[in-house]
Amino acid sequence: MKAALGYAAVAFGAGAAVVGITALLAGLQLRDAFLLRFGRRCVYAVLIAAIAAAGVMEWALISHDFSLRYVAENNASGTPLLYTITGLWAALEGSILLWSVILGGYLTFVAFKFRKRDQDPLVAVAIITGLVVALFFSALMLGPANPFRELSTVPFDGRGPNPLLQNHVLMAFHPPILYLGYVGFTVPFMFGIAALVTGRFGEGWLSDTRRATLVAWGFLTVGIILGAWWSYEVLGWGGFWAWDPVENASLLPWLTATAFIHSVIVQERRGMLRVWNLSLVIATFCLTILGTFLTRSGVIDSVHAFTQSDIGPWLLTFFGVVAATGIGLIAWRGDKLRAPGRIDSAVSRESAFLMNNLLFAALAFVVLLGTVFPLIAEALRGSRLSVGEPYFDRMATPIGLALLFLMAAAPALPWRATSGEVVRNRLLIPAWIGGLTMLAAVILGARGLAEILAYGLGAFATAGIVRQFVLGIRGRRRALGESRAVALGRATRSNPRLYGGLVVHFGVVLIAVVLAASSAYGANRDVTLTKGQSATVSGYTVTYLGSHTARSDQKITYSADIKVAKGDRVLGTYAPAISTYPNSTEGIGTPSVHTGLLDDVYLTLVSSPNAQREITLGVRINAVIVWLWIGGAFMALGTILALAPRLRRRPKSIPSDDLAPVPVPDREPDSPEPDAREEVPV
Amino acid sequence: MIRRWGPWIALGLVVVVALAVVLWPNGSQSPAARAHELETEFKCPECEGLSVADSQAPTSRAIRADIKRRIKAGQSDAEIRQAYVDTYGESILLTPQDSGVSLLVWILPIVVLAMGATGIVFVLRRNREQPHLHATEADERLVHREQGDG
Amino acid sequence: MKHPARIAALAVALVVVVFGVVLALNVGTDPQEDAQQSHLVGKAAPAFDLPNLAGGRLTLADVAGKSAIVNFWNSWCTPCRQEEPALQEFYAAHKDDPDFVMIGIVRQDETGDVKAYVKENGIQWKVALDPGSVAALDFGTRGQPETYAISPSGVVAAAKYGPMSSKELELFLAAARQTA
Repeated sequence: MKAALGYAAVAFGAGAAVVGITALLAGLQLRDAFLLRFGRRCVYAVLIAAIAAAGVMEWALISHDFSLRYVAENNASGTPLLYTITGLWAALEGSILLWSVILGGYLTFVAFKFRKRDQDPLVAVAIITGLVVALFFSALMLGPANPFRELSTVPFDGRGPNPLLQNHVLMAFHPPILYLGYVGFTVPFMFGIAALVTGRFGEGWLSDTRRATLVAWGFLTVGIILGAWWSYEVLGWGGFWAWDPVENASLLPWLTATAFIHSVIVQERRGMLRVWNLSLVIATFCLTILGTFLTRSGVIDSVHAFTQSDIGPWLLTFFGVVAATGIGLIAWRGDKLRAPGRIDSAVSRESAFLMNNLLFAALAFVVLLGTVFPLIAEALRGSRLSVGEPYFDRMATPIGLALLFLMAAAPALPWRATSGEVVRNRLLIPAWIGGLTMLAAVILGARGLAEILAYGLGAFATAGIVRQFVLGIRGRRRALGESRAVALGRATRSNPRLYGGLVVHFGVVLIAVVLAASSAYGANRDVTLTKGQSATVSGYTVTYLGSHTARSDQKITYSADIKVAKGDRVLGTYAPAISTYPNSTEGIGTPSVHTGLLDDVYLTLVSSPNAQREITLGVRINAVIVWLWIGGAFMALGTILALAPRLRRRPKSIPSDDLAPVPVPDREPDSPEPDAREEVPV
Repeated sequence: MIRRWGPWIALGLVVVVALAVVLWPNGSQSPAARAHELETEFKCPECEGLSVADSQAPTSRAIRADIKRRIKAGQSDAEIRQAYVDTYGESILLTPQDSGVSLLVWILPIVVLAMGATGIVFVLRRNREQPHLHATEADERLVHREQGDG
Repeated sequence: MKHPARIAALAVALVVVVFGVVLALNVGTDPQEDAQQSHLVGKAAPAFDLPNLAGGRLTLADVAGKSAIVNFWNSWCTPCRQEEPALQEFYAAHKDDPDFVMIGIVRQDETGDVKAYVKENGIQWKVALDPGSVAALDFGTRGQPETYAISPSGVVAAAKYGPMSSKELELFLAAARQTA
């Protein structure tokens, strides 16, 4: 019964999408207001259908209904409630269901936000595009990826989720947040296609979707960071990024989206780069589909063990159709989009953003090429080769350092053109701070080239960020006499995009520094200990206290208690473990980590006691890892700040007996008012 | 001139000193460093995508021990790599070789970057139609005097 | 340049088509399967010199001149237990054949555990110990169980990573006999 209900819900959603598309097309052709409104409203039906289908699946999971194949494969009667609920996205079919729900949500947001503009062809075409995407995913679920397939013989108990997907609470957050990011890029894509089709290339579509794009970007950023955290805390190999194809699949749209967020500012200010921005938006969406294809089709080796399915050809075809449509539209309309604006000088904010985009595009190309290259090599040569971490690190590091440099220098560059002196004055102190930091790092013993460059450029960028905040506060204090705290608050609120962006950049600096430092420092040793024995690795002493076994319905866990101490100071007792699940022969290791501000002590149980009652313990000392997560938090906070609405400036009267000339209020160069003056040179 | 560029030249010197210290050749790597370097280049044969350095699988640990053994026996990095390629095939190396088809994966990104950079330079050049009005020294002095700077 | 957008779009289209074709060609394949093709098939079997569990040494010379099945296993590997019945059946069928020899190589295991396993499963063929995984690495093994068929002239005829069935073992023997 549940299977029929669920499948009917999916079919209803597909039907609603078809009806909506037809109504909108007819409405556009016939210029019929009623049809356009009706078509828009079909979006709500699509959302309701998706929620209903997901609801039925959750119901089936929670009630352990093993007559459904998906439930039998991803749930067992002993599975705890949390992992039963997260079972919705534990495997392919369910995650398509999740995708549909989130897509329905974003489409509803668009349909609701533009309800007063539904007679506008731009909005209508955008919604048609969105409904086509929704229809595709519904078709997947009606066809090759049917989550509601039934089993002819109902098993006594289900297989349970993959062990790796049921031993950490992050399972509840990482996939949904990642999808909120991925799917969100459908919104700017919809409007980009609509702009191309209707010929309305003005800035309307950009500002309409700006918030949605930033929200999607924020979620994708957090999703990727959570993925790295999961890799670190759960998978047990001690690292957080392996340039695995599935990781790369999530990084690719992030790279083009980040390029887009920056170049969009140029379009808003100067009306330039319109074709490029449209291309970026289409590319980002295509990459989300391509990424899903790479992840789900099993074409490439990956640590993420997804089961293969027939969904590959469908996804690849859809990718082809979308790419062809996008490229075709740009080829058709693109040259009419050429903007009147010109880049006046090589030393300007515009050209810095162009460089930024070039670097991000190059990085995206590197990641895509490296991920797909084993397949290309096989097609050309017949034998496979591997492209792994050493390649990506070597290619990405110079690009990353160049981006770090741009991040530091660009905020000081004014729009249009400037004299070299202005830029030099603005950058002198931050650059000195960067250079001194490099020297200090070398004096303190750092010897990696990329490493010290990262420290120096990071300090340079941070100094620039602090400088912007100081100028903003100082300007308000001079003009309006506010206290520092109030000035900070009001300055931030009156230009949230600038300050939010600066906070995000600071998070990036932290992450860059961690990437540089963690590969240069750290230790990794296996030690074999009997009960009571200790070993020392890099100044940390680990003592094997004892072990025990815990049994539950879900799994059998064998853990060892390890006391960790630094010198005389005891840091705590940690318990790395190996768990075996009833339906899997391999044991799954769970690491145990002591997180410190400077070091993490990362313990894994390599083997349980052998005949001599010795255990083998993997001890890794990882440097400064915690700052990765802190950097991610800054990025998230910055995004939230950037999304905040602007505070309207309330004019304040200046005392009339003040005979000094009215000081120029410090306007940050990023305020979008067209007559914004440059910063007063300090 | 010195006033304008002095601080920057000094900064340049600081940076050069730091870079020189880092880039100064300091003899060959220690065996442990060599071993680690090689371990990051080999793929663990029984895992999906992890390097031998990162994986805890029994085969990885065996390979780590074998690498150490070979280094001790005096084999060069190239010899060790070749030995493993002979037994396991080229796919055991995580870094594509720089010969044959593998060259593509190194060259293509550089080509793309160069094309993009050329495009940008082209765009910038095309826009140099307008004359730029640079402030002369006299102008600057005038402005400074008006602003009341000493 | 006239119509730069159009030219750029076509260039991108070309690249996308190339990528797409490469991906499409690979849709049906399984990378794990490809990876499991042993690189040694068709090449000379590597020499080995290992301690024999029953005493003495076991070397490549002991299997030279006959069709040999070399089976890598150890006592803590679950799929190894799964293939035991097939191995037993196969060995019983061919043990009296003068042209046939079968040996097992155990890596990364304790001698005591190996002896217990041999006794428990009634393994009658020779077993060599490879605690340092030297032979395992020379054979390019990925794990265990892993089985190789070697022709009388010392060429690796077939290899498989994973538990063997009786049928597969027969096919391996046939391959060893057919290989020059």
